[in-house]
Amino acid sequence: MNDPWKQAKERYAQTPIPEELTFAVASAVRAGSRRRNRRRAFHRGLTGMLAGCACFMLLVNASPTFAQAVSAVPVLGNLARVFTVTEYTVEDREHLIDVRLPALELEGATDLEQRINTEIQTRIDQVLQEAEDRARETKAAFVATGGDPAEFMPIVISVDYEIKCQNSQYLSFILTKTETLASAYSEYYAYNIDLQAGREVTLRDVLGPDYVELANQAVREGIAQRSQDPDNSYFPPEEGGFTSIAQDQTFYLNQAGNPMVVFEKYEIAPGYMGTQEFEVPLPTAGT
Amino acid sequence: MEQTTHQQLTAYIVAHQEDFYRLAYSYVKNRDAALDVVQESIVRALSKSDSLRRPEFLKTWFYRILLNESMNYYRQSRRLVSLEEARPDAAAPQGDHAARLDLYDAIDRLDSREQTIIRLRFFQDMKLEEIAQMTDTNLNTVKSRLYKSLRKLRELTGEECSYE
Repeated sequence: MNDPWKQAKERYAQTPIPEELTFAVASAVRAGSRRRNRRRAFHRGLTGMLAGCACFMLLVNASPTFAQAVSAVPVLGNLARVFTVTEYTVEDREHLIDVRLPALELEGATDLEQRINTEIQTRIDQVLQEAEDRARETKAAFVATGGDPAEFMPIVISVDYEIKCQNSQYLSFILTKTETLASAYSEYYAYNIDLQAGREVTLRDVLGPDYVELANQAVREGIAQRSQDPDNSYFPPEEGGFTSIAQDQTFYLNQAGNPMVVFEKYEIAPGYMGTQEFEVPLPTAGT
Repeated sequence: MEQTTHQQLTAYIVAHQEDFYRLAYSYVKNRDAALDVVQESIVRALSKSDSLRRPEFLKTWFYRILLNESMNYYRQSRRLVSLEEARPDAAAPQGDHAARLDLYDAIDRLDSREQTIIRLRFFQDMKLEEIAQMTDTNLNTVKSRLYKSLRKLRELTGEECSYE
């Protein structure tokens, strides 16, 4: 052992030990042992039961507080409002699901209202069903490859919505489903509604007949601008990158009423870039 | 039997808490963060102590958890470096051969896997076999990383850092 190592080791050994360490360790020991006991109790309780049995919690919105909360939702131009119709949590060994499901109320457009609400409902049901199947498969694979079932990290799924634009003309909101296993993956469903016409808005409605070209141009410009930062990168067009917006391109309207085109993670850029959104300016009047 | 494993683990943790703290601190370089890492590792280890079937692996098993926690913190904090911390580092890039680093500081310039090996081997006096188990790598990989790290350290400090 020559000198520099001795010195370095000395410096290492002299790392000041905070006074709280003993206390911190003691409380961690307590917390860890408590958690272990809970785990064991849970395992014992589980042995008698079928493994698939889940604890189910449902927060039904029947309470007066909820009714009050709903009535407090800002009324959107007296025509429409979005409110949380169901909010529930499912928690079991395979997954943790958190759902905040929106529903729509449209004055004088019951057909549309119903159609959209049914669509949201079926879509979410389907998404959750798929996610549950996937969670079960993942867990089965985890156990089959020698994993300890007790160590399986539940898959976290959350469904939420965000209102992007609300004025007397338009209502635009996005439904997000995020599934977290090792990394998070989100899917977006956008709903854009023309309140006055009582129907869903398409990009064509907002941007006019040249909507494909306008949107493509905005996206290309956006990509070119963001690519100037060396930290950003996009797939080249010939390798699955952006070529043109899709027929049913996901978009929403931002506060200003401009369409925002949304590309999901991995769609046009590597995963670390996340979701990519581009604003498409409205064509100037007269053109 | 199970009871005793848990008790052994508890006793081991309490007895060696300062070692754990020093190791955690060497990654996170922050008193509160190091305390957090130690606490989190203990909670995780004890709550999962039933999966530790063979008490003779208690030490390596616990260190593996501690290293994972430290590494997680280290990676997170590296992504969120505060400005004042980022500056001196940027001012003295690796190519600056004129300014010779103290061996202790030079270790921080290694990548996290190399840091682990150096610290465990020289500061905590672990055997290479133990280090291999703790880091989930095979012995040969540990050896080659060790030699590579020593070479790097020699370049960084300009001193002969051979050992033994």
